[in-house]
Amino acid sequence: MAESNSAWVLPDKFTDDLLDEHGNKMSKSEYKKRAKAAATAKEREGKKAAQAAAAAAAPANAAAKGPVLEDEADDLDPNQYYERRMRGLQAARAAGKNPYPHKFHTTTLLPAYVATYAALQPGEQRNGETVAIAGRLASKRRMGKLVFYDIKADGEKVQAMAAADNSPLDEVGFVALHNSVKRGDIVGVEGFPGKSKKGELSIFPRTLVVLAPCLHMLPKRGIQNLESRYRQRYLDTIVNRHVRDIFVTRARIIRFIRSYFDERGFLEVETPMMNSIPGGATARPFVTYHNDLDMQLYMRVAPELYLKMLVVGGLDRVYEIGRQFRNEGIDLTHNPEFTSCEFYQAYADYHDLMTMTEEMVAQMVLQLRGSYRMAYHAHGLDAPPVQIDFTPPWRRISMVAGLEEALGAKLPADLETEDARVELDRLCVKRGVDCASPRTTARLLDKLVGELLESQCVNPTFICDHPRLMSPLAKQHRELLGMTERFELFVSCQEVCNAYTELNDPITQRERFAEQAKAKSAGDDEAMYVDEAYCTALEYGLPPTGGWGMGIDRMTMLLTDTINIKEVLLFPAMRPEVVRPPGESATAAEAAPAAVVPAEAAVAGPLANGCEAAQPFSQALPVSIRSLSHAPAPPAINISPKRRISACNTPVLRSPASQPPIPPPPPAAGPADDLLSAWRSSARSAEVLRAPLSQASQLAHRFSADRDAELKSQASSWEYGK
Amino acid sequence: MRQSVPAHCYQHTFAVVIFPLKKLLSSGCRQCGRSPCRQRLKLCIYRAAKWRVFSSVETAQTASEAAAPSKKQATGGKAAKGTAQKGRGQKASTTSKEEDIRALRLDKAQELRSTGREPYAYRFARTHMAAELQRRFQDLAPGEMAGMQGEEVAVAGRVMARRVMGKLAFVRLEDDSGSVQLYVDRATLDAAQPGGFSELKALVDVGDIVGVHGGVKRTDKGELSVVASQLRVLTKSLRPLPDKWHGLEDIEKRYRQRYVDMIVTDGVRDALRARACMTSAARRLLEDRGFLEVETPVLEATAGGADARPFVTFHNALQQPFVLRIATELHLKRMVVGGFERVFEIGRVFRNEGTSSRHNPEFTSIELYQAYADYADMMALTEDLVRACALKVAGTLQLIYQGLPLDLEPPFRRASMHALVQEATGVDFEAFGDDVAAAAAAAADALRSAGAAPRAVAAAAGARSVGTALNACFEEVVEPRLQQPTFVLDHPAEISPLAKPHRSRPGLVERFELFVAGRELANAYSELTDPVEQRRRLEAQVAEYRAGVAEAAERSSLPAAGALPGGVHSGELQIAVRNSDEDAYEVVLDEDFLMALEYGMPPTGGMGLGLDRLAMLLTDAASIRDVIAFPLMKRL
Repeated sequence: MAESNSAWVLPDKFTDDLLDEHGNKMSKSEYKKRAKAAATAKEREGKKAAQAAAAAAAPANAAAKGPVLEDEADDLDPNQYYERRMRGLQAARAAGKNPYPHKFHTTTLLPAYVATYAALQPGEQRNGETVAIAGRLASKRRMGKLVFYDIKADGEKVQAMAAADNSPLDEVGFVALHNSVKRGDIVGVEGFPGKSKKGELSIFPRTLVVLAPCLHMLPKRGIQNLESRYRQRYLDTIVNRHVRDIFVTRARIIRFIRSYFDERGFLEVETPMMNSIPGGATARPFVTYHNDLDMQLYMRVAPELYLKMLVVGGLDRVYEIGRQFRNEGIDLTHNPEFTSCEFYQAYADYHDLMTMTEEMVAQMVLQLRGSYRMAYHAHGLDAPPVQIDFTPPWRRISMVAGLEEALGAKLPADLETEDARVELDRLCVKRGVDCASPRTTARLLDKLVGELLESQCVNPTFICDHPRLMSPLAKQHRELLGMTERFELFVSCQEVCNAYTELNDPITQRERFAEQAKAKSAGDDEAMYVDEAYCTALEYGLPPTGGWGMGIDRMTMLLTDTINIKEVLLFPAMRPEVVRPPGESATAAEAAPAAVVPAEAAVAGPLANGCEAAQPFSQALPVSIRSLSHAPAPPAINISPKRRISACNTPVLRSPASQPPIPPPPPAAGPADDLLSAWRSSARSAEVLRAPLSQASQLAHRFSADRDAELKSQASSWEYGK
Repeated sequence: MRQSVPAHCYQHTFAVVIFPLKKLLSSGCRQCGRSPCRQRLKLCIYRAAKWRVFSSVETAQTASEAAAPSKKQATGGKAAKGTAQKGRGQKASTTSKEEDIRALRLDKAQELRSTGREPYAYRFARTHMAAELQRRFQDLAPGEMAGMQGEEVAVAGRVMARRVMGKLAFVRLEDDSGSVQLYVDRATLDAAQPGGFSELKALVDVGDIVGVHGGVKRTDKGELSVVASQLRVLTKSLRPLPDKWHGLEDIEKRYRQRYVDMIVTDGVRDALRARACMTSAARRLLEDRGFLEVETPVLEATAGGADARPFVTFHNALQQPFVLRIATELHLKRMVVGGFERVFEIGRVFRNEGTSSRHNPEFTSIELYQAYADYADMMALTEDLVRACALKVAGTLQLIYQGLPLDLEPPFRRASMHALVQEATGVDFEAFGDDVAAAAAAAADALRSAGAAPRAVAAAAGARSVGTALNACFEEVVEPRLQQPTFVLDHPAEISPLAKPHRSRPGLVERFELFVAGRELANAYSELTDPVEQRRRLEAQVAEYRAGVAEAAERSSLPAAGALPGGVHSGELQIAVRNSDEDAYEVVLDEDFLMALEYGMPPTGGMGLGLDRLAMLLTDAASIRDVIAFPLMKRL
């Protein structure tokens, strides 16, 4: 069988098409493979010549000897391959055959087949038994009058050894059938089990039916190109075995979490993904529009408020595993939609939650990896892995105490003063910790923590007791003045969980909102943005409650040893592939060479603002969310997977005073709600939407963004009810 | 005598009872003019009077007014101040009443704080849930104290009623699981917690969250009680709860403030629990059969898998519009192509359509795909799924839904769409062949004689194919009659672009919809795996959609069609006539999906089921809002 990955494409044609879309007549498949073919194109010529010779010889043989089994026609150009298979399809149809049968009765799944017959002796055949299995042909080999196939399904592989003797077909029929079967086809096989003489578990087909032909040539050696792997995930999972395992692991992680909570009397609930919050403060949430109700809706950034309302309503233990949405850039750890788990437990505090976190995560690691210790390639597969030890109990660092120890200096007692800010500024300079302006207290603290504490957290570590100005939804610490009862769990220097004793005093909550509203700007109706509905719910009484959030994608990355979030998402968000001019025919469009640019580049390119994978956002961006915490900017809210809603009023869009580096917002882009109403009053089409929002998005970008998902938070206001 | 109470009948209990009884009876409600039921009003007053005995100050105040409406207002006391102000302003609305109560309770919170007791505690170590106690001590005889002296339990929950009688107080405490009585006698409480009893009397209101330690006994009257030796306010509530007896009668408010509804209305929390239970049963059944749960994107470049208006949104960083998925179908099928032979997703789906008792813009569907299965296998699986959910939630397959007895015992009835329509209208649509005009005319006639709405008749008369004419008859005439679970089989190909052609009946596809109680619950096909045929059908769908839009633009004077049937997983093709002022949304081919099919998808059976509707059925809920924790509400 020819090694033919290379023999497909003229590289110059490829680049031509990149530049000019007119002249291409390639099918989409051709384009797909072209990117790969480019690398090995140079080997092409020689091979093609050889194969052409072989092909030329074949018909001659056939003519001479009657029906002959052909080799795989992998040497063909993908276009030719596709066309040839389409012709075959039409021929079958014309002959009255259904190339896509309705049903094939399998008697056993492939893994079960393997398990049942693994013990057969080499050469043993069980003629008396009849089994029917189905799967995709991973390979086809011809040896004399025999045809060997590898059938793959559910991650298992069984060899099929087709011989004319076992088939009810005559020789002509047998040859015709097997010449029409290609690698990649879905087939159903009925036959008897056995092992080859070499000991390979096989099925000896009596009948073999193509259930769905694969019209394109399957890549042979796996797909390495990230772009096509993510765009054509189905191909990725066909060819790359380990990819399938990632998603099985992901499902197991979620199942584990679910059963952990179910066993403890938690109720799984579903809260709205669309809210009517007037998210004018920022363009961060996704905005959409309900035609019938004539209202703007915002995709949720966290389910937190609704879940706490359920606790007010008497459901003492609730959790939700679900999608959250964030209108931000795409990078190694961020996707516009991601999955989080949040739970709320009445009468618990953050100490209880730390214990639970240790117990749950450690058990999960043990169950999925077989040990508390695991290696994690935190810096890519080329670098040596870090060793992570999940054996509980885990280290706990009180944030300020930890900082003082690392700095060897006392921090100011009251962090909410200008003196404190100056002192922190000085410490940052002294330690050489970078912090882009504005150098607010929260931002400076965050940098110090990132530099001095988080970097210690390779093994799971809780960083606790954040200053109040970083966490307006957390309850004030019962002992440490100015701090809150909050923790973040770091593993491999990445935040995985975020939790706190919930602030349930409506008066204090209002004050914290009001502080922000006040700082946000003088003048317009900011008070509106305080989430009145949420405060009202608190006034009905939220029991003492511990609340917790975890990023499922982050956890999956850890447990599957991947560092790119795209690896753990079935269909990661990608820049749409082709913007097809209307009227262009589908086939022509397929071949359009649009996005050959690797995904990351495609995304990062146009967004000068730090979608670059490895670069910490905060450095690229002048204003990050944490900067909002110091007057005159309102306090920032750190968000974690758990709570990405944040500061009510991310004032950045509104108060130019707080962000010198941002160019003054264009008039239309200032209050995003203006944009939105403009959008609404206009035709509401995406095109119209695009213009004004693009301005908003630039702004949004500037404060989007710390490297950690957690910090990215923020968004929108609290009010969603009125 | 105050006259300007904005009472809307008896929906606002307090307002009504303050309002002079005779006046209300003679003049009727100020808002709707209805005369309130005398009996009901009397009950209000009776209840208010009863509450006087055990309720907190503000309620007692109300009650005293209610009991003696003509009497001069009580003076003195904290609550009276607020009421007096209202009297002056001639405004005694419930809102300002609530504000008074809130101020009063804020004072109480402050008082707690000033004596060193934080009114918003950090944690409470509870040992038992109320239901647990009830179970564990169910054999305790009246008057008996449980176990050894000194064995204490700790419970926590919301105070739902309190009654103080001299040195004794009874509090009904409710938690997630149920309720238990607190038996508070002054001596016991004060012994462990000096001043505890007077604190209870003065500072604890109905609605507060309290934590209690104490022994367990059954009172002489047979009520299991925790004898409080310690009682702490854990969270001070600031707002009064609505009258439990009425619950929240304002339907709007019930959904807007769902947490209040959950506190005071029985069954609300149960519906959410039942729903979780149902979902978990479905998940377990599928996992047991080797299905893998996956998560596919909500944000998509093109909306596919159903015919519905999608929500459009915009990603700033990518500078690209996205739509929210209207079905999970096409991505899950890609997974089947990718070798995941049994997959399912339980997830939110979004449709930009009207709200109704059966439609919420976001709802949860379960979609599953099984390679090498067909729609007959899906029927069996659907039966199993519905059966498992019903047994888990209701414990029986004989349900009553809104007064209608339903038998969910498999096998469900199976009948072809043609047969059902013929049975109901007498028209055999199979006889028309390709004669669209005759079919449309027959459909319109049948609908007219069945008394269908003129709009439906017009739609049938304008049918573009025999299949749509048939479907019009089916929806109008047959659907409402399908009360007992029925698989409707073998739809016309025109309305099922994602289903495989029927293996023996030309023009039809292998599809079924499950109807229960006149509603579509599930939709399934032998999936169309032929990429050529699939492309042809989707292109036809797009063309028809565009034609429909163009036509709608021409006939812009026509009223908008009602909400499309929000079937899950449906590929229904009918194009609603849309308001001309609504923008037509873009329908485009999902080329990527077609490409995936070209790589070969095994013969596959797929099924989609609306979990919200199943939950409605199993919890006997009249509206989808009852099974959704926070249904979407119009902005106030």
